[in-house]
Amino acid sequence: MKRILISVVLIFQISLVHAMEYQKLSAIVIHDPWIRTAPPNAPMLGLFMKIRNNTNQDIRLVSVQAIGYVRAELHRTINHNGIMKMQKQSFMPISAQGDLDLKPGSWHIMLIGPEIAPKEGDTSMIYLEFTMVRHKQFMFKLEKVK
Amino acid sequence: MSKTTLLITIAFIVSIGVAVFSTNTNTDYQFLKRQLKVSHVLHNTNKVLPNFSLVDHNQHLFNNDRFKGKWTLLTFIYTHCPDVCPTILMDMSMLKSILIQRGVETVPEFVAITFDPKRDTPEVLKTYITHFDKDFLGVSGDQTQIDQLIKPFGTYYERSIEVDGKTVIIPNGQAMPESVTSYSINHTAWLYLISPDGEIFAGFPTPHKPHNMADDIELLISNY
Repeated sequence: MKRILISVVLIFQISLVHAMEYQKLSAIVIHDPWIRTAPPNAPMLGLFMKIRNNTNQDIRLVSVQAIGYVRAELHRTINHNGIMKMQKQSFMPISAQGDLDLKPGSWHIMLIGPEIAPKEGDTSMIYLEFTMVRHKQFMFKLEKVK
Repeated sequence: MSKTTLLITIAFIVSIGVAVFSTNTNTDYQFLKRQLKVSHVLHNTNKVLPNFSLVDHNQHLFNNDRFKGKWTLLTFIYTHCPDVCPTILMDMSMLKSILIQRGVETVPEFVAITFDPKRDTPEVLKTYITHFDKDFLGVSGDQTQIDQLIKPFGTYYERSIEVDGKTVIIPNGQAMPESVTSYSINHTAWLYLISPDGEIFAGFPTPHKPHNMADDIELLISNY
């Protein structure tokens, strides 16, 4: 399956982030984020990844922003008696010391209105906001992975 | 061997032959159903497609005749779908590649009809569908005709809109408020194999497994 992998690069918004704060940031780890290559006129795209919660508390992903898109939303596809329902979510739960898989047919981030259809080699930035984590914004760089 | 014994033997052989023949060709395809991995025989001579007149992404007429004389793998999608429909089309692309790699005699034509012709014009569909395979065909047209066409397939869709932060479902056939510009569509996600007689022959529910689907398609076509 063609897909764009997003290399996870933590970029600190404040340059003087000390070591303790960094530890808090690493409480959340993003594995294997990717976007399926899409038609150039695709108005919606699904963003998938695995989110690891290394803390001892349940946390929530409560919002997402994506540069280069009109907006981004938290969504979940549910198979309800054979009908695939797209349901907007107010949050995504990640249990203490647990993982949440964002994958096709399940939890996903809906990227709405891409200014330019992403393709292999393009870059973009995604901001995820969680509860229970002091520094709530994470920034990712989307990069081409051959 | 007496004459009577010979006649009985011949009658027995003939009856076995008739039984085998009828098992393989009877209209309910019981013999075939037991061998399928991921699909269901939907063949029902009483369930015919309505007459329809739609338009493909090359602006050509797409009507009942376009299903005649060849095998077609059909699905229903909409291009504002971020998850399920791209997955279906990726699965169709993989399925086609598998069939070609196997060197099968008959590779169906792949067709996707939109639930959402208001937004999915032929131009939009051409760009969208051919991304997944240059030979895939997108079909748009009149909403009412599409709504009629999906019925014998058992396909269902409904629009989902957000009003004051709450989700409101608009069943197909029911008009949406004019002020609504943004909506998603909840829908079934089957693929359907259409026979060269233009009849629904088999269906593949989600999730789709292209290798198993390829096995079933070979079996279905060879036993038609």
